[in-house]
Amino acid sequence: MKITIIKPGLLSTVQDMGRYRYLSQAVPVSGAMDELAHRLANKAVGNDDHCATIEFTYADASFKAETSILISYSGDGAFLVYQGELMPAEKPLFFSAGSVIKLISNPIGARTYLAVAGGWNVPDVMESKSTYLTAGFGGYKGRALQKADVLVGGPNLNEISNKILKQLVERSLIYPNWCISRNSLLPVKKREIRVVLANEICWFDATSILSFLTNAYTVNLRSNRMGYQLTGKPLVRKVTKELLSTAVTPGTIQVTGSGDLVMLMADCQTTGGYPRIAQVAAVDLPLCAQLKPGDTIEFAEISRDEAEELYLEREHDLLLITKVINLKYTQI
Amino acid sequence: MIKEERYSGTNIPLKIYGLSEKSLTVTFGTSIDNDLLDLITGFNQLLLENPFSGLITTVPAYTTLTVFYDPLTVKLSDLPGENCFEKVSEHLNKIAAIIIEKSNVIAHHLVIPVCYGGNFGQDLLTVAKTNNLTETEVIDIHTAGQYTVFMIGFVPGFAYMGGMDNRLSTPRKELPAAKIPAGSVGIAGNQTGIYPMETPGGWQIIGQTPLKMFDVNRKQPSLLKSGDRVSFKAVDQEEFNAMLKQEYENHYH
Repeated sequence: MKITIIKPGLLSTVQDMGRYRYLSQAVPVSGAMDELAHRLANKAVGNDDHCATIEFTYADASFKAETSILISYSGDGAFLVYQGELMPAEKPLFFSAGSVIKLISNPIGARTYLAVAGGWNVPDVMESKSTYLTAGFGGYKGRALQKADVLVGGPNLNEISNKILKQLVERSLIYPNWCISRNSLLPVKKREIRVVLANEICWFDATSILSFLTNAYTVNLRSNRMGYQLTGKPLVRKVTKELLSTAVTPGTIQVTGSGDLVMLMADCQTTGGYPRIAQVAAVDLPLCAQLKPGDTIEFAEISRDEAEELYLEREHDLLLITKVINLKYTQI
Repeated sequence: MIKEERYSGTNIPLKIYGLSEKSLTVTFGTSIDNDLLDLITGFNQLLLENPFSGLITTVPAYTTLTVFYDPLTVKLSDLPGENCFEKVSEHLNKIAAIIIEKSNVIAHHLVIPVCYGGNFGQDLLTVAKTNNLTETEVIDIHTAGQYTVFMIGFVPGFAYMGGMDNRLSTPRKELPAAKIPAGSVGIAGNQTGIYPMETPGGWQIIGQTPLKMFDVNRKQPSLLKSGDRVSFKAVDQEEFNAMLKQEYENHYH
């Protein structure tokens, strides 16, 4: 399975679940910003969650199928359109060679993931296919996709992908009648980000902590895959000593010298020296990944135990989705 | 080039806080010093030799060691505890108990060749002037010291090294340079460091090493790791070029 990029869009990179084993050498995690959408796109074509997808930022992109392809997409940055028709998300989609597929804007969010049966085949760098642009390694030649780039899926499809493909080809369908419901996995309030208070919480005065948990913050233009700068009421510190740099991770919310908030995202540095006020609950990081400059969010405090429970619950739901799809196709 | 040295560590009670659902941080102390670093290095080595089920990786820093894990695996493990945080903490405390008996840490010592000054170290004169020294004195002092890698951070393979002679202490540049070449050796405050790749940066650049400090094709991509001991050896431009050629050949052949 092969596609050619006709129009790459603002920023399109190959990503997977990230590069976790080299953090001590200051290699960032990288990987899909919206890991949930990445995984659901993979699941919809029968892939393992770790297969590489293409992360598109906003829309205004298009590609051409050079061979027949089995793909799927998930995320809130764009809709896939084929011959003027909107294609459903979180479903396997079959297109014959020569088909041109466009991404048109979805005003809700920022990022969309395109999976192909077997995963996008780029070389592994430090055990991951994720692109890390700053150092120029991973993904497709260590860079963002450009016009005329050719991406190849596979080469080998697993049993489920083969069965999905066979069913669609035999019945001359673009897609089947089932889909994964991403919304059922996400909270209703998509602008309320749950957080666990962080280790340096006592470095801030009580009014500031209250202000952090009650005021709205706006994602400003200086936001990218490394992190988001948030505009809102600046926080005041009561402890002014320096923090010796220590490990940080995507979802860490740091407070800079001027009292502004920075939410670290997928490509963030592995260590940081700003005091941390909170850590975004892992289950709500996908919501953050869909934020655009100008979007406003509020924070809601949960306990460390609740965050872990929510995480385990989400993982069990995701395992269940894979089981259901497998069951559906083993009966064929 | 690499020889081994032994350092001893001491035990202290573990202070642990959660970083995320997948990580927690052990705080070993509050200030930068070699004994503390050796303790962290020793603890880290012992943990990696005796991992718990679900351990993904660890990140040592100045006074902390952060442990990353897979909550699904940890939750199913038979470690005592109600949740992953408690289960992992339990394992780490067991490691801390062992470290009293096995208190020897193996630190690697690496010698890094550096071509000082000229185009390779455009801020050598700044460092000399700031400290009322000649350029030669700066080089002599810099090569006489033994440095400790406290942390790898900022960009892949960037080593923050302490132990520099106070006589070389120089503040960062007021305006960071847009492009610092890979291999540049810099000074910021009382630390010295090497830029592994071309990036913007604010450190005062005194020289350049021909060694590849970060190479994705190596088993350990970063040449240095936390806890390593480093010294610098001055080389001239001819030696620099020969070494650079050698590094290039190692990389591509």
